[in-house]
Amino acid sequence: MKLINDFAHRFNVSLSIDESLVMEKRNRHFLLNAELKRLVSRDFFYAGIYLGKVKNRIFFPSFTLLDMIAEKEKANKTIINRKAEWLFVCGRDLLKQGIIGIAGSRGKGTCTLVLNERGECLGFGKIIANLSEAKDEHAAIVKNISDIGDFLRRER
Amino acid sequence: MMSGKEFFEKRYEKLGWKYRDVNPRQAIRINVANSEPRDIVERLKSRGIEVEAIPFLENGFWVCNSKLSVGATPEYLLGRYSIQEAAAQIPASLFTKPEHRTMLDACAAPGGKTVQMADQMLNTGVLMALDVEKRRLAALANHLERCHVKNAVVYEMDARQVSKLNVKFDGVLLDVPCSGNAATDKGWFRRRTIDDVKRNAELQKEILAEATKVLKDNGELIYSTCSLEPEEDELNIDWAIRTLGLETERIDCYGDEGAINVFGKELDGSIENCRRIWSGRTQGFFLCKLRKRVTRK
Repeated sequence: MKLINDFAHRFNVSLSIDESLVMEKRNRHFLLNAELKRLVSRDFFYAGIYLGKVKNRIFFPSFTLLDMIAEKEKANKTIINRKAEWLFVCGRDLLKQGIIGIAGSRGKGTCTLVLNERGECLGFGKIIANLSEAKDEHAAIVKNISDIGDFLRRER
Repeated sequence: MMSGKEFFEKRYEKLGWKYRDVNPRQAIRINVANSEPRDIVERLKSRGIEVEAIPFLENGFWVCNSKLSVGATPEYLLGRYSIQEAAAQIPASLFTKPEHRTMLDACAAPGGKTVQMADQMLNTGVLMALDVEKRRLAALANHLERCHVKNAVVYEMDARQVSKLNVKFDGVLLDVPCSGNAATDKGWFRRRTIDDVKRNAELQKEILAEATKVLKDNGELIYSTCSLEPEEDELNIDWAIRTLGLETERIDCYGDEGAINVFGKELDGSIENCRRIWSGRTQGFFLCKLRKRVTRK
């Protein structure tokens, strides 16, 4: 649980998750509802909401966990336009020209969720340059760390 | 020889259908638990993807025109819809009010129907999903995560061992492993023999028998195959009615009535309630809704 909360803190928010409903299976963490928890047996492969996995001591969040963080009003967020949305889900970094706005912390090194114009979470990245100081429209502002295009890449 | 295109075509003719080559259209199903169908249709249109409502499905659409892969749009990656062949969308839609129930998808991978069941349950209740092939479970898990499914538990398990879970289900989907059909497998006639069909039919009976054990009295069991061979379809249902205490229920969906005379053998008349879908607008398919008779104590 600590690693999930630590991860959420990187976006400047806390999550209130009932620890008794979280189950770990081979370094993968799942959040179950009470009914699932009652019926599930220990040898499951997948259950409830997948929160993320730990590999080499690094936590890799699921996209559902990113959605849960994105629901928090105060979370660090970068809103991007339609063209940038397409490029981001193809694994590209965010350039100044594609960014509509940044909410929350804007400092270099800050983790930020990446949302499309509809507020849907596409992944997350790290701010690598100051948006207001960047002169070049092609300057990379947010480094892509994880995006939903991963669903396709995983199956290759 | 009990194989080859001519052999199988003759069998289909005896059941009243003339075989023809078809290419089923690509179809999608909108996940209504997290999307508004009209909104998704508009979003796809704005990306150069035209879809058309499938008349016999509530949330299914045929892809008419597409400038890009429907499996690579942000809407797809956000789990707003799934790619699912039209006939394959029917079985999970046949359950009566599945919300807040305990349901089972016994042969689940790669998960198209599992996600559809979760969607129809509006992510309430419990949905257990099994598959025996571990490598296919990863695809199933990806599918569940992408579509924001919250009420499912997945086990690596042979459906013939489901009673080990010690759970009784209100509804069971048995989309059993089958011989497939030539509409989705162009080498089908070259590869398949009647022995394959009979072997699959035996496996399907074993799965039916085990699934019936874990079905609550009065519970619903949807049986489906994408095989056109009656050994895997009507003949198995005839066996299930006679031996497992199941009875068919009338279903109102696309397709022809199940055959009650198969190669000269008279079957239970209630098998007319099943649906046989010959390849054409969709792939070949067979569906049946069964209910477990209440046992008197």
